[in-house]
Amino acid sequence: MSVFFMLLQIDFKSGKPVYLQLVDQIRYAAASGGLRTGEPLPSIRPLAEELRVNRNTVAKAYAELESQGVIETVPGKGCFLKESHSPFTKSVRQKILTKEIDEAVVAAHHLQVDRDAFLALVKERLDSFERKVKDNSDND
Amino acid sequence: MNIDTPIIEIQNLSRRYGKLDAVNNLSLHVRAGKCYGFFGRNGAGKTTTIKCLLNLLRPDSGTARVFGLDPQKNEVAVKSRLAYVPDMVAFYPWMTVRDTLEYLASFRKHWNEDIEADLIKRFQLDPKQKTSHLSKGQRTQLALIGAICPEPELLVLDEPTSGLDPIVRREFIETVIGAYQSGDPGRRTVFVSTHLISEFEGLIDEFTIIEQGRELLTMEADAARDRFRKIRARFAQPPAQLDLSGALNVKQSGREVEILTNGNSEQLLEKLKTRSPEELRCESLSLEEIFVASDILKKVQA
Repeated sequence: MSVFFMLLQIDFKSGKPVYLQLVDQIRYAAASGGLRTGEPLPSIRPLAEELRVNRNTVAKAYAELESQGVIETVPGKGCFLKESHSPFTKSVRQKILTKEIDEAVVAAHHLQVDRDAFLALVKERLDSFERKVKDNSDND
Repeated sequence: MNIDTPIIEIQNLSRRYGKLDAVNNLSLHVRAGKCYGFFGRNGAGKTTTIKCLLNLLRPDSGTARVFGLDPQKNEVAVKSRLAYVPDMVAFYPWMTVRDTLEYLASFRKHWNEDIEADLIKRFQLDPKQKTSHLSKGQRTQLALIGAICPEPELLVLDEPTSGLDPIVRREFIETVIGAYQSGDPGRRTVFVSTHLISEFEGLIDEFTIIEQGRELLTMEADAARDRFRKIRARFAQPPAQLDLSGALNVKQSGREVEILTNGNSEQLLEKLKTRSPEELRCESLSLEEIFVASDILKKVQA
């Protein structure tokens, strides 16, 4: 069983239709490198059994991903991440990030870190990240 | 059979035991290829309804149709296309597992021996074991093999997992998804009555909750989880005069408020935000929580 299985989590409390949760998570895996171009997706039956969701739900998610151009079905071989899969649009990328930032904002509120200190910290972490990226590329 | 003919169609079904209305004017229909959940407490009328579908009981009034046919008039035609796993399975005690499967297969036109071999292996059943020596879990597994091998168009499960250990329950559900559902998905319909709802949550497309023989709520699972939500808010001070009209239910204890919503969570969240809560969270109710909140849901119907 591929590691990819373990990345998928169904949350019945999110209020989002189950097949759309699968679509979003597979797109997310594709965008973040969890799933690479040309890598096979699990076939419908084992994935449905593993997640204990209706087989039709997985089939619907795959059909949706195919119509969005993220995956392609090779007859007899299964589903694969397409080479030219469309990455997330800017608005989707921002939406994903907004969720993460919101969590940090709430945490800052509870820890009584004020606005200026929070923004300074964000800037400091960004600088640190950029330095690391630069160091890595210098070492190559 | 027309492709749009519901696999199960129940219209205004009533069945009394003496003075007790076991099923009272119940209607529902199940489309082909769907997994339909039939939820209710013990004694709500689930088994009585299923027995009317299988012609094990006759309705006092109303109709039950399976594959568009009347189970009373076309009993063989109906039963040859479905399989039924009851909560208490009984086999002839002197037969072995192998004898029992051969006996069950003798009633069927079609029997998939590959599935039979796979499942015997998966469940680690000994074909030479007498059925009287099987545990409750093994009996249910044997009944499930007997139900899936004929590859019926309809699988009727009546409290199939109650009294089983968690591993057997998990395998049971995986088998329904895997071995049964993947054969020819458009022609694999499941009708499952249960009160162990959380285990079947991912499988259910649509469901009916019944109580005291009456239908309380019928919805698609995704739509239900979208509609019924729970909001939790915590304020710095116990909030005074919160206007939460439109909420299904409000519980307040000190600084915390818990609200059940019925399709209006966005609106109520906005209202709460104006009161600057310290914490505000919103999540969907699972099907099990929706079932548990049945008493409150009656207000939806009213």
